[in-house]
Amino acid sequence: MDENHIVALLPDYLDDALGQEERAQLEGHLATCAACAKELEEMKVLFEAFGQEKGATPPERIKTNFYKLLELEKQADAKVIPLNTPATEKRNWTKDLLRVAASIVLLLGAFLFGQQQQQTQSNKEIALLQDERQEIKETAMLSLMENKSASKRIQGVNYIEEFTDPDEAIVLALIDRMRYDANTNVRLTAVDALGRFTASENVKNAFIAALKTEKDPSIQITIIQVLVKIQEKKAVKPMQELLEREDTQPFIKEQIKTLLPSIV
Amino acid sequence: MEAQTDEKLMEAVAHGNLDMLRILFERHHVHVYNFLYKMSGDKMLSEDITQEVFYKIMKYRTSYKNGKFISWLFTIARNSLNTHYSRVKEHCSDLETVQVLEKEKEDFTHLHSALEKLESSDREVLILNRFQEIKYNELAEIMGSTPGAVKTKVSRALKKLKRIYFENI
Repeated sequence: MDENHIVALLPDYLDDALGQEERAQLEGHLATCAACAKELEEMKVLFEAFGQEKGATPPERIKTNFYKLLELEKQADAKVIPLNTPATEKRNWTKDLLRVAASIVLLLGAFLFGQQQQQTQSNKEIALLQDERQEIKETAMLSLMENKSASKRIQGVNYIEEFTDPDEAIVLALIDRMRYDANTNVRLTAVDALGRFTASENVKNAFIAALKTEKDPSIQITIIQVLVKIQEKKAVKPMQELLEREDTQPFIKEQIKTLLPSIV
Repeated sequence: MEAQTDEKLMEAVAHGNLDMLRILFERHHVHVYNFLYKMSGDKMLSEDITQEVFYKIMKYRTSYKNGKFISWLFTIARNSLNTHYSRVKEHCSDLETVQVLEKEKEDFTHLHSALEKLESSDREVLILNRFQEIKYNELAEIMGSTPGAVKTKVSRALKKLKRIYFENI
């Protein structure tokens, strides 16, 4: 056995990749040849170094990047490549149709269920929100009506339009505005606002009382119009009193004269 | 699924089942990366080319012709690296790349440094054969050679490496 040949066998010997015969021959030679034995020892050390060499770990982003590319390719692929060859398509035709039908049913079912769930949920939420909004608005309105600035107070009074069924506290606060606010415009706005809630006894009584005390002609006119419109009989007497009073503006008297007969 | 051979999986990929490429990627990307890193000593470059290799496999999946997947994979990796080097030679001064390499070389093991001193074709067969455990048959496919010739090349390269390794120890 020549030495070059022996040396060429050493890697396979260390890898345990030699046939039995070759292996026996090699081991026989190594026992007698010191040079080849040394060669083997060195190769062993080298192989151990290979074995101990730690591999580098690639960064995770290689994977995430590649998976992104793969997803893009899948999307592009779905548009271009037909799913089946015609032969297999024919065989699976009914099966496929059933599958498609089943998935449509599933999809529809899931959709309807989800929709219903969402509907119930949002109904609940809207109710909650409305509850909450009502409270918030009332607070906002009441605090605005207490504001120093007359225009803010008007804004507060006008807030009443946001309410379909306001709290009695709100109505009473409006009546207060109508009676006692220092600014005529605020009072006038309050009268207009209250005109929508004449169903309330409080509002009616406040209007009737205001007929006796109110000195501002524009407010007087508005109240008179409202009371005539709702055919409030209790308002007839205070209106007649107004007619007799000297300090009542002539055009107010005129207005009362034309409107009073319409209250039957 | 995991027990499927690389070849079965790649065949599925070639027929449009792209998800199977995830399994192949999981199995092999670390090896490709390490091959490139041992060859170039440049982590960023290895990262880029690893990505490029799997991208090419995805793009050219239909050209897979049922050979050994490992051979195909490393053929692409090897070609990509060579293409990169020839491009660098065309466009840049060598100074830049050398600087990058010098910095990373500080972390090299004694074995890695010894490998660096080999000719690149010797280094390549050793890295593929010893680190990536690619057998002579596949190695022959990658190199466009015969198993016998490759075996001799590996054995000679080992001998050269051994001499360098023990000279500088």
